[in-house]
Amino acid sequence: MRPGTAVRLALAGTRTDTLRVGLTGVSAAMASVAMLSAATVLAIRIPQPYQPSGANLSPQYQSDLLQQPGLRPGVASALILLCIPVLALAVQCSRLGAPARDRRLAAFRLAGATPAQTLAVVTVEAGLATLLGTLAGLAIFLGGRQLLDRRNAAGELWLPTDVLPPAWAIAAICAALPAIASLLAALLLRRVRVTPFGVVRQVRRTAPPRTWPAIVLVIGVAAALGLVPLAIRFQAVPTWVIVMMLIVVPVGMAVGVIAGTGSISYVAGAALRRWGRAPSTLLAGGRLMADPWNGSRVLAALLAAVLIGGISIGFRSQLTAQFDVDREAGELWRNAIGDPMILDAERNAFYTDAMDLVDLAIAVGITIAAAALLVAAAESLVSRRRAYAALVATGVPRGVIGRSIVWQLLAPALPAVLVAATSGWLITRSIGHEVTSGGISGTVCLADTAPACADPANLREVDIAPITRLIPVPLEGLLFLTAGATLAVLTMIALSMLFLRSSTSVEELRTT
Amino acid sequence: MNDAILSARGLVKSYGNSPALRGVTFEVAAGEIVAVTGPSGCGKSTLLHCLSGILRPDAGEVVYREQRVDLMPESARARLRRSELGVLFQFGQLVAELTAAENVSLPLLLAGTGRRAARTAALTWLDRLGVAELAEQRPGEMSGGQQQRVALARALVTEPRVLFADEPTGALDTLAGEQVMAHLVRLARAHRTAVVLVTHEPRIAGYADREVIMRDGELADVALAAAR
Ligand SMILES: Nc1ncnc2c1ncn2[C@@H]1O[C@H](COP(=O)(O)OP(=O)(O)O)[C@@H](O)[C@H]1O
Ligand SMILES: [Mg+2]
Repeated sequence: MRPGTAVRLALAGTRTDTLRVGLTGVSAAMASVAMLSAATVLAIRIPQPYQPSGANLSPQYQSDLLQQPGLRPGVASALILLCIPVLALAVQCSRLGAPARDRRLAAFRLAGATPAQTLAVVTVEAGLATLLGTLAGLAIFLGGRQLLDRRNAAGELWLPTDVLPPAWAIAAICAALPAIASLLAALLLRRVRVTPFGVVRQVRRTAPPRTWPAIVLVIGVAAALGLVPLAIRFQAVPTWVIVMMLIVVPVGMAVGVIAGTGSISYVAGAALRRWGRAPSTLLAGGRLMADPWNGSRVLAALLAAVLIGGISIGFRSQLTAQFDVDREAGELWRNAIGDPMILDAERNAFYTDAMDLVDLAIAVGITIAAAALLVAAAESLVSRRRAYAALVATGVPRGVIGRSIVWQLLAPALPAVLVAATSGWLITRSIGHEVTSGGISGTVCLADTAPACADPANLREVDIAPITRLIPVPLEGLLFLTAGATLAVLTMIALSMLFLRSSTSVEELRTT
Repeated sequence: MNDAILSARGLVKSYGNSPALRGVTFEVAAGEIVAVTGPSGCGKSTLLHCLSGILRPDAGEVVYREQRVDLMPESARARLRRSELGVLFQFGQLVAELTAAENVSLPLLLAGTGRRAARTAALTWLDRLGVAELAEQRPGEMSGGQQQRVALARALVTEPRVLFADEPTGALDTLAGEQVMAHLVRLARAHRTAVVLVTHEPRIAGYADREVIMRDGELADVALAAAR
């Protein structure tokens, strides 16, 4: 098959195919902007001459996060992490209208195409869409650099618009994204066998998820609350083991939460089906039980973002608690010797600023992840439009079908979001559940110079015990996080209702 | 005929600029089975959709038991469809994730029947259609003929006065099609349900009391059809 033919076949689709290709392109554009930004941050050079002991700051930037070379890899990783929800969005988009496309591929096979050729059509579709999206992202990135090239009153740059990533990095990003997309598309196609007689799809009765996700989660919680604190206290444990634990525990808990959503979906579906009185709950329950893993797939990115949000909230509560006891200790100090201790206000502001930035990234991540949910909700409607149009024709109000979608998404999402937020917060409890201020007891010299300290008038006896306080449970923050995530979910469900009318129109019933 | 349960006069319906119905007058008496036949694309489905209140005609009137269906708002037409009219399509109308019994009990739940009563009624109707043993199966696990019988049970479970069937055997092989039609006719007679049966197969039209033929959006000479 000539490449031109593959391209033509790849583009010969319906409106849904166009939508899928378009959304794939949009995801690619977002991913490329995020990765190019990360590369830009990493491209910031350390000013010469290099100071082995110094801070090696880049003073041209306003933000400490960009000034300090030690913090820049963190900023870049956060940007790259943003690609995870984008990837989830892309995968969700690739499922859009897939049944119709699979039928089209079967028609190609019937017309004499080899399996390799159908594969080529699919990979060309994904690769081309991603390439166009990536190039659009590059254009947005380059245009954005010009537009956002602003300085504040002090002449400092808001963003690193004075550096560009090296050409090879730009080229690598533009080549890697389409390659990854093509590969993913090819891998996803392996799940359906396209034969000339149509797409082989056995009746799926997905086995209900076992209890293992819950076990993973419980082990994670136990590790976070028991094992990690123990390891931290036990001096003999090498640091790298603790660091590994701090990585493995959150990742394991994320896997537990996401996989656990399958179980939650199944249980919620069974409950709705068994006890729900309305047709909408019956419809939702049926869908949840028929494919409980759908909930995991659809909510995975959102839950990961919420889990990270929970971690961030836990850290913030830890930081504020620490600042509070430090301030109290400072008060005691001042009362004791009449001299205000230098409160590290700037340091505190730096930390809270950094936390604000992390929270912003989390909010963006939740929004992107929620967009994947919109695609899933729309897909849920569109893929069943024939049956739903028939229901509407037999007099079922559209509202019943709309409500069934709300139930289907909200029933697993609500508990899962709660579990994710709580798990994230629990992870931070592993580092500690109380904060302690510094204390001092003994003789303190109030003078600046050593000779002056010989004068007993300049000496003061102080006894300030360290203040230890339990970190309060950040209920407000956790509530805010779950409410925000739920609101995002609800918004996306509401938007998906735009598809309700068209997917239940009489036209869907036409056969001849 | 003044014992007509459903009648239509001068129905006109166009899709954009192409007319699908050009003034159709039609009626069906209580308990009567009428076949609407004609070549593909002549407007049979459009007629059925207008009669059942799924579509609103551009002109003309549809009267069901002294009510002007064409003047009702969508919500009222939907209520009518789920209480007094039944609709059966060619294929793919069952909800794939629900069992046969759940599919059949849906219209009853919607009407406010309790779960248990709805289930009992659903099982009764599945039994009448000879598919009682499929009650806990999902559509994907049934043959086309079995699915169509479950769909027929769903259409009849509310005991409608008029059943609209659009090519109900169109996706079935001969034997399965005959079975569905035999059940349909037997149950319609037993419950005095009028049936508007759209088909392009003369053999299926043979089950009807009366046949009307459509061509190009109009009814062909009805007298001629009656004389056959
Ligand atoms: N939604 C639609 N949009 C445009 N044209 C339509 C639509 N539905 C039906 N038609 C046209 O109206 C005519 C009658 O269609 P239909 O009632 O489906 O015929 P039949 O059921 O007899 O095959 C056909 O020419 C068809 O192409
Ligand atoms: Mg038709």
